[in-house]
Amino acid sequence: MNCPKLKSWLEERYDWEGMKRFAKRKLVPEHRYDLWYYTGGITLFLFILQFLTGMLLAFYYVPHIDFAHKSIIEIVTKQNLGWFFRSFHHWGSELCIAFLFIHLFGTLLLKSYRKPREFLWATGFILLGVSIFFGLSGYLLLWDERALAAVRVATGGAGNFPFIGGFIKAFLRGSIDVTGDTLTRFYAFHVAILPIITLLLVGLHLLLMQYHGMSVPLSLEKEKRREIPFFPNFFYKDLMVWLVVLGVLATLAVLLPPEIGAKADPLAPPPENVKPEWYFLFLLETLKLFPGAILGLNGETIAILMVSCAILFFFLIPFFDQRSARGEKSPLFTWIGVIYLLYFLTMTVVGYLS
Amino acid sequence: MKLKYSLITRRTFLNTLFGGWLFAFFAGTFSALMKFAFPTLGKEPDFVVLNRKDFTDLANNSVKRFPWGGVVGLYFKKADGSVLALKGVCTHMECNVAYKPEERRFYCPCHQGWYDENGKNISGPPPKPLEVFTIMEEGEKLIIAKKGVKVELPKA
Amino acid sequence: MRRIGVVKGLKRFSLFRFAQPMVMALFVMIQPAPSPAADRIAVFPTTPFDAYIIYESLAVLWLAIIGLIVIIRMKLREIERIQEMGIDKEDKDAPLLQ
Repeated sequence: MNCPKLKSWLEERYDWEGMKRFAKRKLVPEHRYDLWYYTGGITLFLFILQFLTGMLLAFYYVPHIDFAHKSIIEIVTKQNLGWFFRSFHHWGSELCIAFLFIHLFGTLLLKSYRKPREFLWATGFILLGVSIFFGLSGYLLLWDERALAAVRVATGGAGNFPFIGGFIKAFLRGSIDVTGDTLTRFYAFHVAILPIITLLLVGLHLLLMQYHGMSVPLSLEKEKRREIPFFPNFFYKDLMVWLVVLGVLATLAVLLPPEIGAKADPLAPPPENVKPEWYFLFLLETLKLFPGAILGLNGETIAILMVSCAILFFFLIPFFDQRSARGEKSPLFTWIGVIYLLYFLTMTVVGYLS
Repeated sequence: MKLKYSLITRRTFLNTLFGGWLFAFFAGTFSALMKFAFPTLGKEPDFVVLNRKDFTDLANNSVKRFPWGGVVGLYFKKADGSVLALKGVCTHMECNVAYKPEERRFYCPCHQGWYDENGKNISGPPPKPLEVFTIMEEGEKLIIAKKGVKVELPKA
Repeated sequence: MRRIGVVKGLKRFSLFRFAQPMVMALFVMIQPAPSPAADRIAVFPTTPFDAYIIYESLAVLWLAIIGLIVIIRMKLREIERIQEMGIDKEDKDAPLLQ
């Protein structure tokens, strides 16, 4: 747009040219694996869409056990396009977490976590936990049988932590069992606490990314390669990918709207073959592998401890992988990454099929 | 007619096309969002049907409230026995009005507006009188309607 | 840019206008018989008219997205052409308009 008057108005007040130069400075490398550069942006885009649709749904949702289920039925049956925004929000969350995992394993296997980007990995990892909690808390808000059973298992499982387990369980549930207090608490998490944390962490994550620039895989570091400016070249490519993602999401929302189960009854047994959301399945299957008691100790506690150790190791990988920090090839950690990925995929599929 | 030079530059053409298409795209999205954000508002009714029995034993110089759509209506039995039905919403800023039997006037506490026994605004900021309804009785039913509305009851 | 003939464009437009109600009628006719599901909550609009409108809107959305992608690709090609020519750098010492 050529508006010389507008331009000069801005330039008399702000260093517009300086900002443009700064934006044009960022370069994105082109190489064999540069498709992976899109995964983070797609996840961000889906997050933004979730924020928007979530804000809309919050207009009509009532977070009280007597009205929660009914308010969602009202949204879906009576509100203009209510069914669409609810379906869009549901599929948005599925795709967002799916792409989050793709982004996670992509950065793991391409070793983008290595020096100097350790904090990018750390903030990203915390964001993973936040997103999963987003999914869990949002899921409970439906207050149907599946949600109640799933949250009972999840919070009960967290309670098996040694020493602090009871504390965590009470903090999440708000009372002894999953009740109206849990619903209120999870609503507070879902619409207030987690969004603020997400905004801060995503802001930090993006800031660090701008500072460090795009990471290039170790094997290609030495090669000479083309670099395209982020603005406008990569920006427009990113935009095209985002538009396709939007289209796919809208299509899924229209063709496969999610069902609404019967209202939750805290005293009734859970429905047949109830399963948590797919991103919890690998944890559930891992827990199932452990016997009830090992050497006289509670099997579940041992399971939780081992899983926690595995997750902690995963979190600290950039600090353990010293070879890649020095810029050398690190095949051990490539294998570790592959094992994590295969484990995650296998356990998820097993959980889905059983 | 073939022109020697293009009337617009490639840049302008592409940017206009892009901007225009983007504008249409967002307008469509935005209108969908707006449809959702505005709830299915109820309209003000043309008439309401009440039970006659609820209103027969009303003492003189007193008021009984009835629902008029989403707002309050007042069934007013004057001191001389005649009845009047009005919308109990102040014409100033839509607060609910109260009846003061000692003074035989309606009072709006928000800005101290006063209406007389017939709903006419006599003191304070209200610009117009209270809206008066017509009362009809059909057997068991008491029908209160907007002035001039033809009441057609649905076949039970 | 190849120009579409004005008359051809109109003809195309009128034919489309004719086809749309036919597709809608066809769509309404091929609706399945309602299955006796035990109080299943309607998570999707039930009337065939509403369902048709939704699918048509989805098609329009995809057309809009494809259109946008085509335009963005045109822009990108132009930008790359300019960059390869080396004329994309703005003159640093250009004076501001008063």
